[in-house]
Amino acid sequence: MGPVELLHMSVFSQSFSPCGRFLAAGNNYGEIAVFSLSAALSPDATALSQKPVLTFTAHEGPVFSLLSTDCHLLSAGNGEISCWSWSELIKKNVKPLWTKRPNYKSSLEIPEINSMAINSRDNSLVFGGGDNNVHVLDLEHGVFKSVLQGHSDYVHCVSVRDREAEILSGGEDGAVRVWDSRTGQCVHCIEVHKYESCARPQYGKWISCLTTDSDWMLCGGGPSLSLWHLRSLSPTSVFPLTGCQRQTTFYQDMILAVGEGPAVSHCLLGGEVKAQIPCTPQSLNTLQLNTNSTEHRVLTVGGSSDHIDVFTNLSYRTFSFSF
Amino acid sequence: MSSDALKKRKPKVLRTEGGTPETKRGRGEGDHQDVRVYSEEVELDARDPEQDFLQYKESCESLATLMSEIQELKANGAKDGCAEVEQRRMQSCIHFMNLKKLNRLAHMRLKRGRDQTHEAKQRVDVLHLQLQNLLYEVMHLQKEISKCLEFKSKHEEIDLVPEEEFYQEAPQDISRPQLTKNDPHQLTLARLDWELEQRKRLAEKYMESQTTREKIQKSIEVKKEHLTSLQPGLNAIMQASIPVQEYLSMPFEQAQIQTEVARHLPPPLYVLFVQANAYGQACDKNLCVSISGDVEEAKALSKPPEDSQDDESDSDAEEEQEKTKRRRPTTGGQLDDKRREMLKRHPLSLCLDLKCKDGSILHLHFYYLMNLNIMTVKTKVSTSTDLNTVISAGDLLKSDTLLSCLYTSDQGQETPNPANRYQFDKVGIVCFADYVEDLGHPYMWVQSLGGLHFPKDPSEGVRVGSSLCASHMETTMKLLRGRLLSRLALHKQFASLEHSIIPVSSECQQLFPAKTISRLARWTQSTLQDYMELPYTRHVTDAGLATETDLYFMSVVERGTAHLQAAVVLSPRYPEVSPLFSLSLSWKGERSGRTDDNLRAMESEVNVFKNELQGPRPGRQLLTNQFSRLCVCLDVYLETEGQDDSVEGPREFPREKMCLRTVRGPNRLKPFKYNHPQGFFSHR
Repeated sequence: MGPVELLHMSVFSQSFSPCGRFLAAGNNYGEIAVFSLSAALSPDATALSQKPVLTFTAHEGPVFSLLSTDCHLLSAGNGEISCWSWSELIKKNVKPLWTKRPNYKSSLEIPEINSMAINSRDNSLVFGGGDNNVHVLDLEHGVFKSVLQGHSDYVHCVSVRDREAEILSGGEDGAVRVWDSRTGQCVHCIEVHKYESCARPQYGKWISCLTTDSDWMLCGGGPSLSLWHLRSLSPTSVFPLTGCQRQTTFYQDMILAVGEGPAVSHCLLGGEVKAQIPCTPQSLNTLQLNTNSTEHRVLTVGGSSDHIDVFTNLSYRTFSFSF
Repeated sequence: MSSDALKKRKPKVLRTEGGTPETKRGRGEGDHQDVRVYSEEVELDARDPEQDFLQYKESCESLATLMSEIQELKANGAKDGCAEVEQRRMQSCIHFMNLKKLNRLAHMRLKRGRDQTHEAKQRVDVLHLQLQNLLYEVMHLQKEISKCLEFKSKHEEIDLVPEEEFYQEAPQDISRPQLTKNDPHQLTLARLDWELEQRKRLAEKYMESQTTREKIQKSIEVKKEHLTSLQPGLNAIMQASIPVQEYLSMPFEQAQIQTEVARHLPPPLYVLFVQANAYGQACDKNLCVSISGDVEEAKALSKPPEDSQDDESDSDAEEEQEKTKRRRPTTGGQLDDKRREMLKRHPLSLCLDLKCKDGSILHLHFYYLMNLNIMTVKTKVSTSTDLNTVISAGDLLKSDTLLSCLYTSDQGQETPNPANRYQFDKVGIVCFADYVEDLGHPYMWVQSLGGLHFPKDPSEGVRVGSSLCASHMETTMKLLRGRLLSRLALHKQFASLEHSIIPVSSECQQLFPAKTISRLARWTQSTLQDYMELPYTRHVTDAGLATETDLYFMSVVERGTAHLQAAVVLSPRYPEVSPLFSLSLSWKGERSGRTDDNLRAMESEVNVFKNELQGPRPGRQLLTNQFSRLCVCLDVYLETEGQDDSVEGPREFPREKMCLRTVRGPNRLKPFKYNHPQGFFSHR
């Protein structure tokens, strides 16, 4: 990888290993790099420990999504999903356990997969992407169980509400659709851009981030990032963040959001922006909190750079991994 | 008592008798005396000393008795003139006379005895002398004998033919077997005779050969003269044939002169000369090697073997220091002289002309800095067409940047010889780069071509001299030629870019859609300073991709109200290292590749996916193709932007490009990839 390629690298996805000691990150060249958190956080860490312990090309196109299950790493490339064993990756064996591709109709361009989520209720993988549909893959049998059709443009993000057996998906068409995972029917359709408090016509209407926590949902993109109450299907607070947000997460009584702009935004549930912590990439694509291991509890963010910023404390950047 | 008195008187007597004053007085008297003495002597012979001794005793006794009688008489009162006393006095007188005679005789006897002893002694001495002589003679003879015994004949050193051979070969009259068989002396003599005979014969033969040799030599001389008489004629022919040679491009004559001059080249240049010539003959007919410079000076230089300059400069430097202490004002000039001396070039330089197919020539002048032991190169380009019209291309063919970074990070600013550092310290040279313009650039590859090796990395294999040169020759020549061609190609491209024309060759037509609306509006040269001040290039400088050796350009691509600024970093190693674009779009506000993901995607479209844009090898159309793609991408960017349907009125940029999807992925990238036969745009 030459310096020019590094200069134009973007990190799209991250996932921590089940043990919490490793971080996998996917970039726009289809590569997945595995970093060792334990080495980088140890007192005798050197510059070398901020480099990946393993880099391999997983897919042809960009790796837009990474997801870890109990012992596997799932990666989404151009229209295909590959499964890697974490224990093998740590031993630096890079052979996918399997690669699956849903049955796409279009042949001109292979649709990308933008987002994946695990539905632990029936051990299935929910993912959505460029074919405007949300697919459900049964991880037990390895078959594509169902296709949830309804979006009129490509799907940016999916989320699963375990308790309610609901799947949520946000798309380029500006709609957040709520699906019943058992029947595959669309239960609700929220067109966020039609709510005046959220709409930002100068950006557009797409929904690029979607997160749920019990009865609450966070969504944003073209419209402002907003917190929704799902039972009443109404926005409770709108966050005054500039730029479109690409990934958010609930953290304790806060909301962390990344998107356009070189900062991680800390927001309070009430709608105030508490802090914006600067980081290396000029725009951010992904944010991950490591909850798998108490000793390596860190926040990592990646974006339009070959650097992945690591925050041991939420209020400042500690160091950066780099490809 | 009386004997003592006698003895005292005795010398007086002797004196009166044999004293010299009497003999001197007169000879006549002496004769008379002699007769008398002689008589006494004769008497002496007759007398017996024993008797004399007895007589003496008697006389003495009778004297004593007479004395005692006189004593008695006197005592008895006799008078002085008394007869008795007188008688007795008479008798004693006689006795005295007798005693005197005896004394004289005794003396004479003593003298005689002495004489006799002396005589005998002399005889003994003579005999002794004789004995000594004889003994010496004996010794000498013995020595002679031993010498003779030790004598070595010369013939012993002569290697004689063995006996059997001698009997076989020598004629009878020399060998005389009947004589020599039993007598080894004769045998040796005969053999020596034979040897002499043989040697005489050989000497004769030698003389004969000598004469024939001389004859042959003479004939050779004659032939030589003949040949030298041919020389002027041949020269004339050669001279006459030069135009023909030139016409047929067979420079035999020139090559000959060159090799003659090449002998005076310093070793590194000579290595380069030989290797370049060899390479030119074997692989590259368009490589022309020539030597320029003052041959006479070089000859003068090469005559005394080059003594180590270091020692001299060492002491000089010390002197220098002393002088600086004493006379401050003049030191500047002296240091200047020292510096000039230090940086002195060898009077001869080597000129390599690399001809390219299009008629342009790269002139490389190689110099050798004698005291620094490094080589430098100066370059010049001559082209078939006039190239001065292009403003932005000024630096492209400049001598000091043309060959910069021919190999990675070889900028030719610092001297590659680590020893030079210390030499510079002595004369106060801070940085060699200050002198590069005068002296030429000491690129690493130049040192390699000259067979000079300055190891930096211990893992490097150590090769010096011709093998080092040979190992670098081919690649370097290819690189040089490639560099020149790429620079000329760039030059052409700049010429059209300045006129806002982006040339696209027929091979590359398929890379771009037929219709492109965005146009290049401006193409100007810039500097590193200006480049670094741009807000949208910080990531490039931070990544260390913009260095002093690179060339910088600013360009603007326009379509309607949209202006796309592109800052371009052009590496000296173009097209090996591709130009790097940084973009900034001013359209409905400013956005740059740092903040806008789509502009960033456009940057990577030209910077990262350059391999598609290189066109026919070796990819010299890269720059213009990058611009073409930039225009296409700007079209796509503008046409797919602004889906906001709420704004009324016609769109500024109607959608003309065929796109499968306008956005894709989490960061909503636009489709910048053109698919050739179908003519639609898709995502990467």
